[in-house]
Parts: sequence; structure tokens; C-alpha cells
Amino acid sequence: MTSMATTQRERHTGQPTPGDASVARGLLERADLLQQLDRAVTKRVTVISAPPGSGKTSLLRAWADRSTELRRVAFVSVKRDQQNAQQFWSAVLDAIRNPARPTDPKAQPAATAGLDADQLADAALSELTDQVEPVVLIIDDLHELKSADALTQLERLLTMLPGFARLVLSSRRDPPIKLHQLRLVGQVAEIRAGDLRFTESETRELLAASGIGLSDAGAAALYQRTEGWAAGLRLAVISLSAHPDPERFVAEFSGTDRAIGEYLIAEMLERQPTEVQRMLLRTSLVDRLNGDLADLLTGRSGSEQMLLELEDANAFVVSLDAERTWFRYHQLLADFLRLELRRTSADELGDLHRRAARWFADHGDVVEAVRHTLAAGDWPDAARLVADHSFRWVLEGQAETIDAVLQAFPEGASADHPDLALAHAAAELNHGRLEDAATQLALAESHVQSAPPARRRRLSVAIASLRLALARRSGRFSEVIEQVNLLDASMSDESNDQIAMDSELRAVALLNLGIVETWSGRLADSERHLAEGAELARTIGRPYLEVACRAHQGFPSKTVSVATARERGRQAVALAERYGWEDRPIVAPALGAVGGMAIWMGEFDEGERWLRRAWEVADPTVDPAATVLLHVATGMLHAGRGQQQSAVEAFAAAARMESQLSGVHALAPRITGWLAAAQARLGIPDKARATLTGFSAEPEQIGLIYDGQMGAIYNARAVICLTEGDPAGALDALQGVLDATPPLVPTFTVVESHLLAGIAHLSLGGRSAAAAAAEAALAAAEPDRLMFPFAMTQAAELLNALPRHETAHRALLADIVDLLRGEPVPSVERERLSQPEELSPSELRVLRYLPTNLTRPEIAQELYVSINTVNTHIRNLYSKLGARDRSSAVQRARELRLLSTGRS
Amino acid sequence: MDTPPGLYTIRIRGRLGATALSAFPSMECELERGETVLTGMLEDRSAVFGVLGQIEALGLELLELRRIPGTLDQCP
Repeated sequence: MTSMATTQRERHTGQPTPGDASVARGLLERADLLQQLDRAVTKRVTVISAPPGSGKTSLLRAWADRSTELRRVAFVSVKRDQQNAQQFWSAVLDAIRNPARPTDPKAQPAATAGLDADQLADAALSELTDQVEPVVLIIDDLHELKSADALTQLERLLTMLPGFARLVLSSRRDPPIKLHQLRLVGQVAEIRAGDLRFTESETRELLAASGIGLSDAGAAALYQRTEGWAAGLRLAVISLSAHPDPERFVAEFSGTDRAIGEYLIAEMLERQPTEVQRMLLRTSLVDRLNGDLADLLTGRSGSEQMLLELEDANAFVVSLDAERTWFRYHQLLADFLRLELRRTSADELGDLHRRAARWFADHGDVVEAVRHTLAAGDWPDAARLVADHSFRWVLEGQAETIDAVLQAFPEGASADHPDLALAHAAAELNHGRLEDAATQLALAESHVQSAPPARRRRLSVAIASLRLALARRSGRFSEVIEQVNLLDASMSDESNDQIAMDSELRAVALLNLGIVETWSGRLADSERHLAEGAELARTIGRPYLEVACRAHQGFPSKTVSVATARERGRQAVALAERYGWEDRPIVAPALGAVGGMAIWMGEFDEGERWLRRAWEVADPTVDPAATVLLHVATGMLHAGRGQQQSAVEAFAAAARMESQLSGVHALAPRITGWLAAAQARLGIPDKARATLTGFSAEPEQIGLIYDGQMGAIYNARAVICLTEGDPAGALDALQGVLDATPPLVPTFTVVESHLLAGIAHLSLGGRSAAAAAAEAALAAAEPDRLMFPFAMTQAAELLNALPRHETAHRALLADIVDLLRGEPVPSVERERLSQPEELSPSELRVLRYLPTNLTRPEIAQELYVSINTVNTHIRNLYSKLGARDRSSAVQRARELRLLSTGRS
Repeated sequence: MDTPPGLYTIRIRGRLGATALSAFPSMECELERGETVLTGMLEDRSAVFGVLGQIEALGLELLELRRIPGTLDQCP
């Protein structure tokens, strides 16, 4: 399923060198043509455009083999009918990155899993940019690239190509890429069919080198008949070398009016032993094959040996890897073979496709399996394959694969196949098109009853799991819990072969359930379910899912302790980093949890740093509920620093986001309470009251789960009273919290209530009551080091009223007093201040923009890369420079003279 | 922009054998002075480009492509 990518340093096997036997078999060192290509690559872009069989690939391979001394050559052959931009760029990136790695056509480069096509294209560009030696990227068979996105991305790469990099595009047709700008400045070279044609003297050279004795007249006739067409000459040489009477062959060839390609291929095939002919025909329907697959298709053994011999004879069979285990046929040959197979053995086609499908499915290449199942006409089977794997593709971040596979089915086919409707639903969900996803799901559901009983259960489980994801995305939390119960019931009796697949579904269900429980305030359940989901995902080898579970586990872990929540969040981030997913939206909740917990502990700068990372990766459309958390944590940061205006803005943003969810977010009362409190502190008590009034209509709706959370509302009422000079009113309001049984009200709310009560007592002149309240607040805050409420309530004056010898919490008090004085709190984090690691050229380029006032998106635009790429570079810069933010990074870079001119 | 259905003739260099001809099942074939002339109804633009794609893939040399005028009237 990957495109073939090789670099020429390893591809010595089977390659022609002057004087070696392969020259005798139809490949010729064409010095003039190689020199023409040498001249061409002095230009930035070379376009080789000529019909099939013109010798484009042979020329490129020969040239690449020769050129590796001088430069690095990355060679990419576009896979037949490549519609998947993600796969295309993945192959390009692989070719640039791994010059020393033999290409395994089955290998999926792990480092690129989960990146979309845009990010991969950016990565390819930055790899090219980072090269120290001249580099030539060759893209062969570009006409097979059918993805408009990929072509657009290629066009962008072209405009951004660094000065020492060269691009060679080879295609049957002029590529649909704008080249006029480069053409105007003379930076495009072209090699066309006329240039590729053999000359008459090259024809003679080829014949001589192949040991074919032909008269001058015979050679001239052959040249005239083929008009120097490379494939024609190569085919003729294959037939001639074994021919008892070469002159007669040429005479017959010249005398016939047959189209030359077909004539010569037929001649070549006729000269092969019957079993070779049979193998060629029956294997022609796969795009690439190895001995095992070929044996399966022909129904007998020994295919690998035949393939090796055909390649050695240069008979239009090419091996794809250094070990020569994978092969493909020259497309011209493959197309004729397929026609011939269909013409002569039409009744066997379905069976052959089915065999190929089974083989590919068994070897994990589902995309090929689906293609052959469809070709065999077995739609329901193909649909089932897609449905069974669509989850995995989503989970592995390969959503484009579903899109590509679904394209192979005719439009509207999902109306008849519940499996297909399911796959469509997964694809739509992944694109964030929730309504379309719901439509497809309903379609699938309407077919469940008509499915065979064995299938019905599996379908129901898949539908429930997708419903769950959909309900979670739309914020319909109560529906999620219903769905999970359904899922649990249907999973109770498992058949063995279903377990693996169902484990995946179950892990997905646990993830969605855990997330929903988090945002509906059932933190203990949520923590447990997410831990279970992560463990299951790890067991069945689904790291993406494991990272997702762990990332969401951070926040609810605060039921254990704030420190635990912080640590789990950090572990989730570390796990994501190990797989290169630290830029993915799934990490946002973990980063937010680490930042939020740091803020609770009074480490505002540290919290800010993590929050900034969280905002960089968060995607509100993917996970709106997690985005609410980030707004809340941001509001806390501002409130803790006494920046009331910014706090109001952040809490208001959280409230807006929360109101877009159709369920009620667990943080809703807290958001409202803190928003009102910040408004009161900002001196707009009317707005504060309005905020609370807007909320008070809803408590019945919220139900029991949120009861304890209503404390946030009481606290806000108290704050309003205090700012309006009504401390007695404040104490009244706080009774609701302070009288409640402790476990019902979250600790931090209790801390806040004690502090507000203390402040009220203080302004009423009750110093001892105030001191008692302060001591109660410290006692409640101690276990988790909850310093944030002291900062938010501006409790400095109150703490002064507490005689030092009367507190049992002296150490915490001292830290809090420092915090309130604006002194940094000692952090768990250690700063890296040693000599920075070497910066990459791309990082240096981004670094140079940091002293300007350009924003990150603007920097991305300047550098023609995506915002994600810029973010990654900036994060690496901060980390390497030991900087916390842009200004400290600039300062450090100045100290290290990294910003001085002279380096480019 | 839709190409209406119509009768097309396509001229290709050389005589095509049974294998190559099987790529054009909907077209009639005639041989004229060493050139193959394929004639047939092509439903729309995709059908036309489908045939051209086959000609390209098989390495055949396209000499002429022509729509025979007046054939449009036959279609409802």
C-alpha cells in the first residue's frame, strides 16, 4: 500500500554497468543522453515527458546510479493510480530521509504515522532544506499521481525548493503543474520523446553489445521500423538473442503492418516456456508481487525463480527491493498481459482476484485486498473489509486511507450495505462532519436487522461505538452513557475471532466513556475507565489509542491528587513524544492538565508554559470539551495573577464554548462562578449578577452530580457582596458551602469559601474568626498544595491577620505569602541552562523571525510551511535554548550570537 | 461542457491484434492502408478519454480522433 521508494545507493543489484551482462540484454550506457540529463539538472526542475516505453525509468536509474558520488539522489516511483496524498508524501519523505535503508514495499515508516498530507509535504520540504549536500529528488511515473491535493502540494514544494536542491519529474504526459515562473527565469529543462529515441548508431551499438549478429541492412531496417523507440528495441533484442535466424525476424517484423508494441510483446511471450507465459498472465492483475503471491495465483511453485530469471533477462520485470523479493512488470507489458488474460481466461478472473484479495488481507494490506475484492465483484465482502478496518485507520491517524478506499465504491452504494455506511460514518466523523456521520449511521442502523445473525452483533457493536464517538463529539453526554451500557451488554459473550476486533472497539468505547465521565463530573469512574482503556490499547498494540486514553486521564486523576494528575499528564505527553504525536490534538488535554495543576499549585509561569503548548495543539472542532478546560485554566492563570480583565475574557470564552455543547459540562458552575467573581473584582457587579442569574435557571437540569459544584456559585455571590461592601451578605451566601458535608463539595471550593469568609470577618472586625477561617483554608489546602485560591481571592491581608505561631501550616503559609508578593514559587521543573544543542537549519530560520513582531501563522506564511511545523520548530528552539517564551528565547539567542548576520 | 454522445472514429498507426483490440470492446475495427480505424458510439467525455487512455497505455500511436457530425440527432 505504500508507494515504492528507493534511493540509488543501495540499488546496485541488477543494475547495468558498462561491460556487464545486462548491457547485452538490452540496456545500453547511453552517454549522450546521460550527459543531457547532467546538463538538465543544472536547472532547478527537469521534466521528462514521453509515452510509455520511451526509456524514462531506465535513463533515470542509470543516471542515478552514476550520480551518487556527486550528490544525494532520492528516487520515488509513484504507485499505480495513487489517489492518496498522505501515502505519496510518506514515500517521498522516506526516500529523502533514508538513503541507507533498503526499501521494503510493505514497510510503513513509523515516524510519519498520524501526520496528514500537508504536514508530510512540509516535512519533505524541510528535509530537503536541511540537507548539507546537493540533493536531487526524482519522482518517476508522476502521471500515476491522481490526488489533486498532492499535485498542489508538489507545486508549492517547487516554489520553495532550496537553492541546492533539484527536482526531476518524469511522466507520460506533461505534468499538470505550473512551471511558467521557473521557465521565465530559465530554470526548467525538458527531455522529450524525441530526445529519448535511440539513434541509428546507438541501435547498432545495442545490437553489438547484445551479441546479436545482424547485417547493416538488418540493423537499419530494425531502426526504421521501431523509429528508435526504446521499448521496441529492447523487446526486439530479447526475441533476437534467442532467434535462430535474426535476419528473418527483422524481415518479418519490417514486413508486417502490425502495431509494433503488441507485435513485439507477443513475439517475446511466444518465446517463453509455457509455465512462464502462464505465470505472467495470471499474475498480471496485481501491481506488485513476490514469489509466494505468484505461486498462489498460478497454482504451482517456482515462480520466484522465474521472476528472477525474467529480470536478469531484462524482460520487462523489475525487482523493487535490494533483496529482489518484490517485483513488478513494466506497465506496457502489464497492460497487454491484463488484456490477454481477460480475453483468454475471463472466467478465471473472479477467482484470481479473490485469491489475491485473500493473500493481501492475510498479509495486512487491506487497501489492496479491498481493491481485488471489488474487482472480483464481491461488494458485500469488500464493504465488510472496509468496515472492519476503518476503526484501525482512524486510530492510526490514517483517515485518508478510508477516503481513498471508499472512492472505489460507486456513489450511493452505502444505501445497500450497512458496512459501507459504517465506514462512511467513521470517515465523516473524522472530518468533523457530525451531521453527515449521523445520517450514515442511521442508514447502517436501518439495515442491521436484515443482516445475518452472526454479523448482526458485530454491526451493533460497531454502530454503538460510533454513536458513542458521535455523541461525545456533540457533547450529548447522557446519550453516551446509554450507549456504553448497550455496548457492555453486547460484549458479554465473545467468540474467539471477534475478540481482537472487539478489544479495539472496547478500548474506543472506554476512551469515549472516560472522556464523557470527565466532563460530566464522574471523575473517579472516568479515571478508572481511561486507565482500563489505555491498558487494553497497550495490550492490543494500538499506541495512538493508548496515548489518547492517557492524555485524557490526567485531568480526572486529580481525584487521586493534584500531583498525580500533573504527573499522569506529563507521562501522557512523554508517551506521545515517543511516537512523534506531541503535535496532535489528542495531547491537548494532557498538556492542559499539567498546566492547570501547576496553576493550582501556584506555579503560574510553569503553568503558562504548558498551557501555551496545549493551545498550540488544541483543535476545538476535534475536542470542544477539552478546549473548555484550556479556557478555564487560562482564566485561572489570569485570575491568580490579578489580571481581572483577561480572566473575565478567558472565563467568558469558556462559557461560550461550553454553551455550544448540547450536554452540560462539569465545569459549567465553576466557569459561571469564576466569571462572575472576576467581573465583580473588575468592578462590574451588575454584569456579575447577570452572569449568575443566567445560570440560576438551570440547577434542576444539572441534577445531582453537580450539586457539590454549586459551591462555586455561592462563592461568586459572596465575592459580589464583598466588592459591594456587604460582608454580612457574603457570610450568608457562604453558609451553603460551609454547612455542606465535606465530600460533597470539592476541596478547592471549600478553601475558597473559607478564604472569602475570613475576608468578610476581617472587614466586620472579627479578627479571631478571620484567623480561624484562614487556618481552616490552609488546613484544607495543605494536602494538595492548593495555593491558587489564595492568589485568586487576594488573601494577603487576611493571612496577615493570622499570627504565625497559631498556624500548623507554616511552610505552606510561607510559600503562599511569597506567591502573593509576586515571588516565583519553587517549581518541580528544572531549567536547562547549559550549552544548547545544535540548532537545525530550519530551526535557525524560524529563530530569525522571533525578534520580529510576526505572529506564528505569519511566520508560517513567510516560510511557506504549516503552522504546525513552525510550532514544532519553536518548541524545539525553546527547549534547546532553555527559554520559557519568545522574549527569553530571543535574549538567549542573542547571548549565544545565534541571531548575528553572516549565517544564512 | 459535456461532450454529447456521438459517433467517433479513431485512427491508429499499425494493425491491432486481438489482444489490443480487446481494449476497445465497444468499437468496430477496420484496416485501411496499414492503419487501424476504430469506429463507435462514445457516450460522453469520460468515454472518449477512456479510449485515449487505453491508446496511451498500450503505447499505440494516435493519428486522428474525429467526431462524425450529425450523429447527435440520433439521440433523444
